[in-house]
Amino acid sequence: MSESYDRGLVEDFGRWTEFSAGMWAWVFHKFTGWVLVGYLFTHISVLSTSLQGAQAYNNTLSGLESLAVVRILEVGLLAVAVFHILNGIRLLFVDLGVGLEAQDKSFYASLVLTGVIVVASVPTFLTGAF
Amino acid sequence: MAERYSSFRSGSTTWLLQRLTAAFLVVVLAFHFFNLHFVTHAYNIEFAGSQARMSEVGYYLTMVLFLVTATFHGVNGVYNALVNQGIEGKAKRAAQIVLGLAGLLLVVQGIRVANTLAGF
Amino acid sequence: MSTQTPETETETETEPEAESGASAAPDHQQRRMDEKRARAEARDDAAAQAATEFEGETVELKVFRYDPEVEGKEEPRFDSFTVPFEKGMTVLDALIFARDEYDSSLTFRHSCRQAVCGSDAFFINGSQQLGCQTQMGDLEWPVRVEPLPHQDVVKDLVVEMDHFYDQMESVQPFFDPDELPDGELDEQRQSRENREHIKLSTRCIWCGACMSSCNIAAGDNQYLGPAAINKAYRFYMDEREGEQKRQERLEIIEQEHGVWRCQTQFSCTEVCPKDIPLTEHIQELKREAVKENLKFW
Repeated sequence: MSESYDRGLVEDFGRWTEFSAGMWAWVFHKFTGWVLVGYLFTHISVLSTSLQGAQAYNNTLSGLESLAVVRILEVGLLAVAVFHILNGIRLLFVDLGVGLEAQDKSFYASLVLTGVIVVASVPTFLTGAF
Repeated sequence: MAERYSSFRSGSTTWLLQRLTAAFLVVVLAFHFFNLHFVTHAYNIEFAGSQARMSEVGYYLTMVLFLVTATFHGVNGVYNALVNQGIEGKAKRAAQIVLGLAGLLLVVQGIRVANTLAGF
Repeated sequence: MSTQTPETETETETEPEAESGASAAPDHQQRRMDEKRARAEARDDAAAQAATEFEGETVELKVFRYDPEVEGKEEPRFDSFTVPFEKGMTVLDALIFARDEYDSSLTFRHSCRQAVCGSDAFFINGSQQLGCQTQMGDLEWPVRVEPLPHQDVVKDLVVEMDHFYDQMESVQPFFDPDELPDGELDEQRQSRENREHIKLSTRCIWCGACMSSCNIAAGDNQYLGPAAINKAYRFYMDEREGEQKRQERLEIIEQEHGVWRCQTQFSCTEVCPKDIPLTEHIQELKREAVKENLKFW
């Protein structure tokens, strides 16, 4: 028993097909969390152009909004934010010890609801984008 | 547990704060999105409009609180993710300092923006 | 079918003979060994033939193999065994058959065979389960059996459990009541309600399935893990626990690598062979810790 064999990361992410609902919820929540923190920093940076006056602020914002890529990324941001909010509510209930038996169903529900809200918002977000 | 001197003191305080800010953010983030994508469309935002919104004291205070809570929630979330990965010792200390400074910087800069828009 | 090569077995079997008969004439010794090898081969062939000629249903078992001490086996690999299927057969039964009939070097822990001792937790078809509690009939075939993930493999299906036991012991799993009953033979009674409260947490059999399924325990080696926290819960929630000990225990579970690391993925709850609501217990302890700390303000 001098040696032992460590199977490394393969056993975590190599097995993503075997992940359960709770694990997926965690993976998505973490990913959306990273995106939102990243966005928070860029958001404040962009708005910081206001320190250089109204003109700079207006030019930057309208310049960004005129790009189709930015408009599409905004839809992505909405999806990320909505999922993080809905799954966050789910997690708050889990922390309160409410509805633990339905934790998988509530995860699926937050996924579906996110999809619905995002699809419904696409027209508003993409008006005049193309 | 003798060695408890980190600024991100482990335990129930940060855990509870993470949940409390979450509850607040759920509401305010939803409002923020709705306000600046549906009520006012993002592509119509101009300095004058932002100024008008920010001059209201209630809005100004909400936004500053939004900034502070979001920064805490985000930075603490990232820190937790790193601890979950098993970060230790010097790397952990470095993460605390870097994340703390980044958060502080973000809040300061955000408040400067809010002040400019509010005309303070 | 890639069962073990007969050579390995004969070698191990003749070893003691070779030692005791070392002084005998080499020719004689050689002849005896040849005869013995021939007999063993014939026997193995017969067994192999029998294996392929099972009447009725058979099931294929793919088993993780690794042995750092034998040359040619240091590289982990999967061996397949064809095992006759019977109604009611468990994964452990199939493994025992494979070991007894094909390859005596196949190594795994097992003892009571009735989900009480907790020694045969394996990674079966991608989830942590007790071999003795899992019906072959309920699984998708071929059945893949691996050692528990996130623990070092010692040999085949045997994993290093020291770290798990250390974590279990770190929560000081014992009673330390403030006061003992007057009479020497008096019992320390517990109310029915309190017994109900901790009932499920007492079921733990230390099999390590929960710890192995936990994503966080995999990354953060210092994390106490579901089993240890559940063990702490069992004593913390017991009304007979002494006040001093309760405070000490709270400090252990609310340290940075204690309850706060739980990310409520529910992996542990899903794999627990004893159906202990581990996540629920961890969450309850988090709330207890918050309440205790708010009291000091």
